[in-house]
Amino acid sequence: MVLEKDIPKFVEWVGPAFFSYLLGLAVFAVVVGGVAWLVQTVLYGPMAAGDRVYHGAVGLVGDLGRVSWRRVTAMTRLAVKESLRKNVLVALGLFAVVLLFAGWFLDPSSVNPGRLYLGFILTSTNLLVCLVVLVLAAFSLPADIKAKAIQTVTTKPVRTIEIVLGRFLGFSAIGTASLLVMGLAGWAFVVRSVAHEHLLTQEDLEDVAAADGSLAGYRGRTSFRQGHRHWVELGPEGSGRTDVAQGHRHAVRARESADGKRVFEVGPPEGLLEARRPLRGRLTFRDRDGSPSAKGISVGAEWGYRQYIEGSTLAAAIWTFEGIDERDFPDGLPLEMIIRVFRTHKGDIEKGIGGSVRVRNPRTQVETAPFYFTAKEFTIDSIMIPRQVAVTSPEGGTRQVDLFDELVDRKSEAVGPADAGGGGKGRIEVVLQCLVPAQYFGVAQADFYLLAGNGSFALNYLKSCLGIWFSMLLVAAIGVTFSTFLSGPVAVLATLSVLLVGQVREFLSRWYESLVTGDATIVPGGGPIESLYRIITQVSITLELEETPAVLAMKAVDTLLVSPMRLLAAVFPSLGSLGTGEFVASGFDIPLDLIAEHSLETLGYVLPCIVLGAVFLKAREVAS
Amino acid sequence: MRVSDRGGAPELETEGLLVNPGTEKNLVAAANAAGSSSEIVVETRNLSKVYRDFWGRSKKVALKPLDLQIRRGEIFGLLGPNGSGKTTTLKLLLGLIFPSTGEAVVFGRDATEVSKNERIGYLPEESYLYKFLDAEETLDFYGRLFDMPPEERRRRATALIEMVGLTRDRKRQLKEYSKGMTRRIGVAQALINDPELILLDEPTSGLDPIGTREMKDLILDLKARGKTVIMSSHLLADVEDVCDRIAVLHQGELKELGRVEDLLRVTDTTQVRARGLPPAALEELREVCRKFGGTEIEVGNPTITLEDLFLEVVRDADARPGRRASQPRS
Ligand SMILES: Nc1ncnc2c1ncn2[C@@H]1O[C@H](COP(=O)(O)OP(=O)(O)O)[C@@H](O)[C@H]1O
Ligand SMILES: [Mg+2]
Repeated sequence: MVLEKDIPKFVEWVGPAFFSYLLGLAVFAVVVGGVAWLVQTVLYGPMAAGDRVYHGAVGLVGDLGRVSWRRVTAMTRLAVKESLRKNVLVALGLFAVVLLFAGWFLDPSSVNPGRLYLGFILTSTNLLVCLVVLVLAAFSLPADIKAKAIQTVTTKPVRTIEIVLGRFLGFSAIGTASLLVMGLAGWAFVVRSVAHEHLLTQEDLEDVAAADGSLAGYRGRTSFRQGHRHWVELGPEGSGRTDVAQGHRHAVRARESADGKRVFEVGPPEGLLEARRPLRGRLTFRDRDGSPSAKGISVGAEWGYRQYIEGSTLAAAIWTFEGIDERDFPDGLPLEMIIRVFRTHKGDIEKGIGGSVRVRNPRTQVETAPFYFTAKEFTIDSIMIPRQVAVTSPEGGTRQVDLFDELVDRKSEAVGPADAGGGGKGRIEVVLQCLVPAQYFGVAQADFYLLAGNGSFALNYLKSCLGIWFSMLLVAAIGVTFSTFLSGPVAVLATLSVLLVGQVREFLSRWYESLVTGDATIVPGGGPIESLYRIITQVSITLELEETPAVLAMKAVDTLLVSPMRLLAAVFPSLGSLGTGEFVASGFDIPLDLIAEHSLETLGYVLPCIVLGAVFLKAREVAS
Repeated sequence: MRVSDRGGAPELETEGLLVNPGTEKNLVAAANAAGSSSEIVVETRNLSKVYRDFWGRSKKVALKPLDLQIRRGEIFGLLGPNGSGKTTTLKLLLGLIFPSTGEAVVFGRDATEVSKNERIGYLPEESYLYKFLDAEETLDFYGRLFDMPPEERRRRATALIEMVGLTRDRKRQLKEYSKGMTRRIGVAQALINDPELILLDEPTSGLDPIGTREMKDLILDLKARGKTVIMSSHLLADVEDVCDRIAVLHQGELKELGRVEDLLRVTDTTQVRARGLPPAALEELREVCRKFGGTEIEVGNPTITLEDLFLEVVRDADARPGRRASQPRS
């Protein structure tokens, strides 16, 4: 899973985020007020315009204080009834069709079927729920205005904020109900789709002899199901585990059947639907001469997320993990890593690229002997660092030590005072190297972690549905807001555009970073004008442009554009960043911090949207 | 509205509905019920409306500056041909559209203020209701908008549905209703809050003679309960039958304003009415008239009808645009 930024701790995030939110809101309010004043000035002259804007603002604050829940719920019920009587159930039918379709064309024998199914189900649920809500929200109010039913409503003592809020709640309720149904159906679909069993009989197995000729165990292959089979290695008593194929393995147990024969039971797939809780570290690099460097190697015009280390040199990637508690890892440190391999020559394609991992105490620099592994692409490699490890002594030779005694640094200033009981949290370094000459390992900070535990997959799925729920709320709010002053189809388009701008938010901040740092590799190709020029003249984005006056002028304009564009984009919500389907599909637990942040972010957009919608509706002659 | 089975005139069954004893505002209303008081309920000052398009360009001058004062307990009629600005005036009073100049004041507050709606009932030109609701749900919905507690909502909804004679159809969605039925539920909706001021836009349009009659009775009944009613119509008979005062609009301009009797009284003509006079007496009457210098002596034809007045105003307005109501009529 790609995780470009660390997920900040909620308590650290909330303060600054709230401050910049208020700032943004204030700027936005001033801009809206200014535009309203300008428009009114054209119609009524500057003084009267100022008066109107002032009274509008005062009236709005008054309205906010006078909201009646009975009226709001009346509008909510109306919206729900309207949706139900206008056949939203069609959307659920559509979802059923999607499931049928998915069952037919999704390939259960793919490399990682759990990921495929989850990704598909969550994406289509998200899309359908948001689409249904968007259409309902965007078309309802314009239809009311067109049919003039709104006139009967606004001549009752109902405030525009109640109309907008009520509608928003109504469509959100419909969205929530659809999400519940789709979520449950999707869950059942995924669980059923990835579930499978293999058969294993005595005939599939051959004996494995130990050095002394006694029976060491059995070896063989399971039956072929869902496009794969597993190798199994069993102990002499007949139990063990299969190897990992398609992202999962099975446990195998032997028992005696009634007629005295030995029967093997292959358990359900493990590791397909998981919610791993990673403890992530901070990544630094050593270059090929072994000296510290901020970055690895970039292997071409690839996106800077992943850095590469060269094989068979001193180049290394080093993760520093903090907050390691003996009580959390009583059996040692389970390391998991997702490593990309970049081959400069084909080598033996079957064999995979070997690498090594060493654990090091950052203070004393005491280091374990290397653990070797072979990097498999697209799967998670795991290594268990046991409690008792061999370290190389300065005098030469190795000695066995306890991981937490010698390798975990619990004394440094950076760590803080150790617990009285001696089991305080500590710091550790893990060093990764590639062992094959002229081949490279690609690593990213998030791709190498300690498995701190496993959460419940069901809960994780629920959390992901919560992410969809946030998106749905956002879409409902924006849709309703636009529908207060635009016609239905235009409101749909406007909402989609806002969400689209939100999608490029990340990109714009990268571009900003690229300009500020002068590092053209962050966003190759420059700003909008330069990019346009490159598209027309067909100059590759990696080529430096010749510094002619025209090019310099172009770049200057781009530089001028960056700040307003970034500001604008920062104002727009990003549905992409609310989505947490990627976590679930990749089998990672969604951090609660992230959910808390997303919930506040959603609220932060929804509330002003509703107020804005109320303002628009109030400023509008609903009867003309 | 229910026609009573006593065979006489249609009678409204509004028991315990429009008068809500015990509330202070109804006591005030009852005190004023005897006739129109001096309290001004609606006032417009220099009120005008120009419809504009998106770019702010003027599309239509729908109402030229209008000054009106409507008192509590009055039935005020807005009379005028189609497109004369009646609906525009009502919408301005309701705050549904905003004035281009001047202001509309309702219950002493600006017409765009929402809180005034607590005391207002409005029946639009056509009943603009939610077609997917049934009659009960409709009244319940609007009752909620008045923040009424459930018990009161249920009571009023039942009584109003009974009153407008939709009891049997109360569970049917409005999209199945006929025009007359839609109008009835529209009336019920407008009265859900027992309003003090009721604005009716063309209340009798599209109704059959019985429905029209019931509507007029309802209006008179509202007056009897001290309510103020402003209605618009292009149907002269309606206005003549129920209105205390009328304003005649033509192309957005006020042409006539006053009490109906005053407007229809022909001041330079004398009418004598008697029963059972022999033809000789008629001849003698003519003689007397001639003796006092009377001309064009006629018997019968006591007043002009409102229709005459209406046509005259329209004809006159076409011939001499710009004449205002304040100017004496020729
Ligand atoms: N929303 C509008 N936009 C432009 N012109 C309008 C609008 N509403 C009404 N008008 C025009 O204003 C004039 C008065 O309309 P209206 O008040 O509805 O008349 P009435 O109710 O007396 O029949 C008409 O000429 C009508 O065409
Ligand atoms: Mg009209």
